[in-house]
Amino acid sequence: MGQVAAKIQIMPAGVETDLEALKERLTNAIPVGVKLHGFSEEPIAFGLKAIIAVVLVGDVEGGTESIEEAFAATDEVQSVSVLELGRL
Amino acid sequence: MAEKPHLNLAVIGHIDHGKSTLVGRLMYDTGAIEAHVIEKYREEAKAKGKESFAFAWVMDSLKEERERGITIDIAHQRFDTDKYYFTVVDCPGHRDFVKNMITGASQADAAILVVSGKDSVQAQTKEHVFLSRTLGINQLIIAINKMDEVNYDEAKYEKAVEDVSVLLKMVGFKPSEISFIPTSAFEGDNIASSSENTKWYKGPTILESLDTLKEPEKPTKLPLRIPVQDAYTISGIGTVPVGRVETGTMKKGDKVIFQPGGALGEVKSIEMHHEEVPEAVPGDNIGWNVRGIGKNDVRRGDVCGMADKPPTVAEEFTAQIVVLQHPSAITAGYTPVFHCHTAQVACTLLSLDKKLDPKTGEVKEENPSFIKTGDAAIITVKPTRPLVIENVKEIPQMGRFAIRDMGQTVAAGMVISIKARP
Repeated sequence: MGQVAAKIQIMPAGVETDLEALKERLTNAIPVGVKLHGFSEEPIAFGLKAIIAVVLVGDVEGGTESIEEAFAATDEVQSVSVLELGRL
Repeated sequence: MAEKPHLNLAVIGHIDHGKSTLVGRLMYDTGAIEAHVIEKYREEAKAKGKESFAFAWVMDSLKEERERGITIDIAHQRFDTDKYYFTVVDCPGHRDFVKNMITGASQADAAILVVSGKDSVQAQTKEHVFLSRTLGINQLIIAINKMDEVNYDEAKYEKAVEDVSVLLKMVGFKPSEISFIPTSAFEGDNIASSSENTKWYKGPTILESLDTLKEPEKPTKLPLRIPVQDAYTISGIGTVPVGRVETGTMKKGDKVIFQPGGALGEVKSIEMHHEEVPEAVPGDNIGWNVRGIGKNDVRRGDVCGMADKPPTVAEEFTAQIVVLQHPSAITAGYTPVFHCHTAQVACTLLSLDKKLDPKTGEVKEENPSFIKTGDAAIITVKPTRPLVIENVKEIPQMGRFAIRDMGQTVAAGMVISIKARP
């Protein structure tokens, strides 16, 4: 089975959320079977920034479910959305 | 030189019919991979005695290189034709990714459906054709691939064309308006240039037919719809919803409404990438500040529209669905979660109205007692709490959904009629 790269947008709890600390918590939350490829930040509006995570998951049952759940359950995460995906 | 127009291209089809090889071949033949890189891997293949597999070797090596790279756009590959530049996405095979394809940000403008000339139409071929229709991908190119494995036999090609045509007709595509091309992505037949191996074929190559695709128009003329991703309270600013504009345009001073809650307000300012913009258009990821709206008046899953053309709140709706996977049978009364734009709402299937024949697209059974994996059907649905959704014929971007249950994507569908909340 191939691998799928998924670009995931993580919205923080607020403008004052420490994004560096949040990235660390997100990294620690990554479940078995998912590989973190990298993070970037994207300015949204009025001082709000989103974290963009790119992860690699198997092209198998469950899809991005486990990583979405893990990110969503992390402290100071407001929401998690998968923006794009494609097989490597 | 001005940049060429851009198209998002999805490559779809059954597993092992050669999707990845086709993507690789397109990159290779259009010069998207630099010649010296190809040469380097060619040499490597030769040194390892795998010369006859040079192409496959180059593709695997490039994949490894991308995996090691740090680019955030790892899943995208870009290539240029004479007319356009394409970003190409090799679609995942597993059904559980369908949800992401429906709610995700980048909608494909066109798709190449890859069908093996050896095996013809298979389960995923059917599923992907259904899904491309559901996802609103209206431009298709059909590659009847692996022609090298059937000795470029015209009869095999014609058989596959016929099978695919039946399938296309059933979901409302017109096969006569679609290019069918006999290819071998592995050998490079009819990709960039017409092949000597298929003298019986007089049509365009893949690259030629890519240039006949139409550039998509931004849906600016449709009513404004912005699904709310999140709502923030920002000190000194006020309530700021964030989200991506699906359709229409929004300017400062516009009177807007958030449905299903019904909160009304006036747009004070719009920001994108931290900069104020005078107008937001489809595809823009924005935050907007609304006078008269409190934080509790708006939440994820709400939809913002113009006060005089408010988003539709469905009391009930009728939809066409395709069942992707379900362990047993789906019957009336089933209440799974519908994922539609940013909303997730449990909805009850009030009735199963029609089961469609996957061979002809005609109604096979009125009021079936159950439907199961692989079936296409028309159903009537009632959301358990207020949900904004639109008729796919009026606002296609807001009329699609994925049905999830037990951690799986059970079905995908589109709304064909709505009984709006009074």
